[in-house]
Amino acid sequence: MVHALRRAAGRLHAGGTLISIRPHPTRRPLVAIVTGRRRLPVATLLETAFERNLDAAESALARVVEEDAFHLAGVRSARFRTYLERPSQMRTYLELIYPPRPRFPRGGRARLYEMWDAAPRGARIEVTESLILNALRPLTRGGLETR
Amino acid sequence: MATEISAYPREGLERRLIERFVSLRRKHVLEIGCGDGRLTFQIAPIASSVLAIDPDPLSIEEAAGEQQRRGIANIDFQVGSIERLSAAGAPFDVALFSWSL
Repeated sequence: MVHALRRAAGRLHAGGTLISIRPHPTRRPLVAIVTGRRRLPVATLLETAFERNLDAAESALARVVEEDAFHLAGVRSARFRTYLERPSQMRTYLELIYPPRPRFPRGGRARLYEMWDAAPRGARIEVTESLILNALRPLTRGGLETR
Repeated sequence: MATEISAYPREGLERRLIERFVSLRRKHVLEIGCGDGRLTFQIAPIASSVLAIDPDPLSIEEAAGEQQRRGIANIDFQVGSIERLSAAGAPFDVALFSWSL
């Protein structure tokens, strides 16, 4: 990842900007059932296989700043929500996420179905995810590409 | 009626976040990991040009088909990775790792 960032720096104008958008490193996807104004949390999705990728991305971004390849211009995070009409759409939703995909903790899917069966008509399933965006500006164009 | 399900933010959110740091207007953008072009098609209308790369040939084929359908001229979809990208077409104003770092 550090190499990819260095390569990208080498493709930028002096004064250019590198942007990284990726899943938030600590906020995990949250599944809830919403009925009107009520939001009933069901489960937080696990991303065990993804943890290493998230950690590696954070480390790589930190490293290129530490080694003076980039200046950190700023960080922003945001939440976004997806609404599903029924539990069976969860499978489709999870398959749309680039692998390795998050999954339910043990018993989480069964809990979703139980809560869904007890939910009033008009209920929806809400999945809340979070992203993080880092903006970096290279201090030396291509200077670190050959390291 | 079937609902279209997306596991990504609603259209415009990522672009707005990016533009808190850099305007994309008339910029030459390199998008790394463009997938099927979901974000590329949001950026292209304001950018000068977008070179969008992804290692997955099927995704690039899908993106290029959609580009043709939409009649957008300023995107160059290519199968590839940043590690193997030639220097041709550089330098860019913005390099964007879209869910790909």
